[in-house]
Amino acid sequence: MKTRRRDFIKLSAASTLAALTMLSVQPHSVVGRMLAKQLLLEETSKKPLEGLRFVKTFCGMCGALCGIRVGVDSSGRPRVVLPLNGHPQRGLCGRSATAPWLWDHPLRLKKPMVNEMRGEARFKEVDWDTALNGIASKLKEIVSKYGYKAIAITHHDAWSYYMPLFSYLFGTPNVISHVSMCHANGTVARGHILGAGGPPAVDPDYENASFLVLIGRTLSTASMGALHRARTNKGLQIVVVDPRMPEIGFGDVKWIPIIPGTDAAFALSIIYVLLEEELYNADFLKKYSNAPFLIKPDGKPLTEADVVEGGDPKKYLVFDAKDGKLKDHKVALDPDLWYVGEVTLKDGSKVTVKTALTLLKERASNYKPEVAESITGVKASEIRWVARKLALSNGVVDDTWYIARNWNDYDDVRSFLIINVLLGNIDKPGGLCFQESSKFPSVISVKTIEGKKVAETVYGARMPEELFGDVTKTRVDRAKYPLTLSTFDAVLDAILEEKPYPIKALFIIGTNPIGRDMNTRKIIEAYKKLDLLVVIDIMPTDDADYADYVLPDTIFLEREEITSTKWTLHASVQKQSKVVDPPKGVDARDALWIMFEIARRAFPERAKALGWDDKYADYEVYKDEFLHKLDEAILSSLAKAWNIDKEKLKTALEEEGYYVLSKKKYYVRPYKTALATPSGKAEIYSLAALAAGLDPLPDYKPPPAYTPPKAPDEFYLVNGKSPLTSFQASLMEPLRFVGDRSVWMNPKDAERLGIRDGDMVELEGIDTGWKARVRIRVTERVREGVLFAYATVCGRMSKLIPKDYFAREGVNPNWFAKGYVIPIVGGGASNSSVRVRKL
Amino acid sequence: MRLAYVWDSRKCIACMACVVACASANYPELMREAKPNPQWNWLAGNIRVIVGENGGKPELRLISCQHCENAPCVSACPTRASYIDRRTGLVRIDHSKCIGCKACLVACPYGARWLNPATMLPEKCPGPFCSKLIENGLNPVCVEVCPAGARYFGDLDDPESPVNEELRKHRVERMLEHLGTNPKWFVITG
Repeated sequence: MKTRRRDFIKLSAASTLAALTMLSVQPHSVVGRMLAKQLLLEETSKKPLEGLRFVKTFCGMCGALCGIRVGVDSSGRPRVVLPLNGHPQRGLCGRSATAPWLWDHPLRLKKPMVNEMRGEARFKEVDWDTALNGIASKLKEIVSKYGYKAIAITHHDAWSYYMPLFSYLFGTPNVISHVSMCHANGTVARGHILGAGGPPAVDPDYENASFLVLIGRTLSTASMGALHRARTNKGLQIVVVDPRMPEIGFGDVKWIPIIPGTDAAFALSIIYVLLEEELYNADFLKKYSNAPFLIKPDGKPLTEADVVEGGDPKKYLVFDAKDGKLKDHKVALDPDLWYVGEVTLKDGSKVTVKTALTLLKERASNYKPEVAESITGVKASEIRWVARKLALSNGVVDDTWYIARNWNDYDDVRSFLIINVLLGNIDKPGGLCFQESSKFPSVISVKTIEGKKVAETVYGARMPEELFGDVTKTRVDRAKYPLTLSTFDAVLDAILEEKPYPIKALFIIGTNPIGRDMNTRKIIEAYKKLDLLVVIDIMPTDDADYADYVLPDTIFLEREEITSTKWTLHASVQKQSKVVDPPKGVDARDALWIMFEIARRAFPERAKALGWDDKYADYEVYKDEFLHKLDEAILSSLAKAWNIDKEKLKTALEEEGYYVLSKKKYYVRPYKTALATPSGKAEIYSLAALAAGLDPLPDYKPPPAYTPPKAPDEFYLVNGKSPLTSFQASLMEPLRFVGDRSVWMNPKDAERLGIRDGDMVELEGIDTGWKARVRIRVTERVREGVLFAYATVCGRMSKLIPKDYFAREGVNPNWFAKGYVIPIVGGGASNSSVRVRKL
Repeated sequence: MRLAYVWDSRKCIACMACVVACASANYPELMREAKPNPQWNWLAGNIRVIVGENGGKPELRLISCQHCENAPCVSACPTRASYIDRRTGLVRIDHSKCIGCKACLVACPYGARWLNPATMLPEKCPGPFCSKLIENGLNPVCVEVCPAGARYFGDLDDPESPVNEELRKHRVERMLEHLGTNPKWFVITG
């Protein structure tokens, strides 16, 4: 007779008890599930399984910050990472799984280092005082000559919450992140169409959607919470539109290969089909969008101020089909979506006005499916299928995340968002939804107290206006690209050309501009011209070679932090708990402590005004007192904002690792709450774009970011993220085997050029002339005429990385990108064109 | 009891979380010393990845021990170090009986075994850590970590187990079934 599972479990009941209470792993049978419930309720044993103790925290291997549990063995070493079940953004992906390799990685930065020869990485280990005093002394010199604004700080996700604090600490406006090479184009588009912010501000409701179109977006990278919701939604059909098949394409996903840089033509063609075949949601468009707004020949909306003396320029006029009169949109009963007619203005002149929807259709008519097919390489029948399926299945188009690819990406995302508006599938179950705000406090904000302007920190320190330094001066990137969120390329210009003013000192915190930004030569040239370059990081970066000082930061497993949960529609906060201390021989310090300690030595009055006491120079006192004060202040602010008990919140964060403050509420924006667009409506015709001097409607423009490939040996080189890599995760030992450092080529192209799978070739940037050798992977996963390489996975050049280290193999796609920035919007483009030479 | 693995090829996103977690959980000493799995030129873990391309859409397969009911590795073992655990139905190795002859490595038609470079003895799924989890009624690490919900583990003899739930609902295949190995590793294909 076979042993029943029930009997088997009985055999080892004692150890089961221990395992289930400590691990809370999901048992694999109904019996196990029942048993787990009983044992968890009993909570009688604390003996950890296999000597592992598990700590609930969130991952820091990339910026997504998913909920995980880290198992630490009896020697104090992180051994395994498991997802934190129940967390609204449950982990984990391949890069999170590599976290145990990070802690005592042989390449980890261990001590402060001073570079004796820039570019040559001739580093000498020094103590913290020597490094911090040296940096402070140089900073004082720079500020005395050029002012505080000559200091710039660039960063990615690590320590990003504290960046506004660093801005006041150093008196500079120039805290300029990575986003021009990430989501900036999409975020400006989200602002213009929906009045929303960064990528998680609006997202498809993955767990309830029925048809999801991912254009240039893969859910298999970062935001594992979104992925989990999408993949466990059994009724969801997914289409990916991409020149290469992303990892999610291995599953039951339809992949539509598209010619790089033509996404807007594809999306405008879908818009055309939706309008031509009347597949749009007319009720939504009439009430909640600016589709019925009347637009004058000068491109501006017709307002009451145009037709009545002293009229309100905020009253947007529409043609009310109910009574055939022009009316303020707010009071019209049946706004006509397709009105075209003559209007008499207050000066007696007559102009022809058209609805915004009419103008959109005129624009989209340039991209009828047959025309779009010739641009995009996607069959007209497939475009029609996607459009009809979107309408009939109440589908949703993803608003994207990483989109700095082809220069015309701002128009791509505007088109994607407009499709969702036409479908009326906004803030509804299964649609494109707004994230609930967690009301997380800003680390610093400017207030007027007793008639005086002060910058007040979340923990109550106040900096008077006299100490603001250059904080309120125009940032170097905003001077050049007025709508930008951050454009690092402008920092390079300010270093090289000293316009609009010189940048002389640069802090690089937890990021790698050489890996992340286009035009590598320009970056290196700029680094050489700086008076001071400081890199604060956990692993060697290519940038470190050019730094004067390299300072070792702590890793996420070694620190505590409370943040909002990023990729969920719910309002949620989460806690990063310390899992381990730095290993022996690693004298790492939090970047937060480092920046305050530099400021205390360079500008003591600034540090003091922001609440930094001399006693925090002792790292243990900083951890015990300063961080405690910070956490308590954040908890108090959240408790007050949500009217909840602070201790309850604190206990939940400590015990569970997360706390859901409010579940997603549907049908709020724009139904009950106006959007943060100029009209308060979803704007298919963007008034903010118009005001900024941009085309208010999306259009397809061939990307000027690279010379289009023409000859038989010329290709587009596109790139994308991998579920295994961030710029730090790419150095983890498993990547030696599972990291893909090849460049992909379609079998037909390979056959034509006589290249076989595994052959080495030389790539030459058509615009940059950069040459590099790389191994070719011949695969159907990329369309003809296109090469694909993963971003941030390889091509490392730092002399701090051994010559035979695997991460040196392959190419960094940014080597070949010429560095074209979108005017006004300020986004970059990492795709390029290359010539292939068989070796 | 016949414990079995189910992998839903439709849901898998090839993120490699299971591949990496298997290595870190089961072979931490090899991980620390950066010793790879020499047979597969792969990290020291029990799951390898194969991408099949035949002109159409590329297909992914994750390969690990198939826990065959008619296991060639067990038949090939001269010392009975490889055996089918009657309590669980899983194919196991008793390293105390193993002489390192590698007959099992050759016999396995799936290439699911590899030689531990530290002990020169064969390794396979489930590794030592996952074995403990399974003995305690828990899922192995690969199933637990999967962000896509593409992996299941459970008892084929228990009609209510998650594997039977999935097998009832979907079209499934077993790899190299024609060899008569009767594997207990199922791939959902539709």
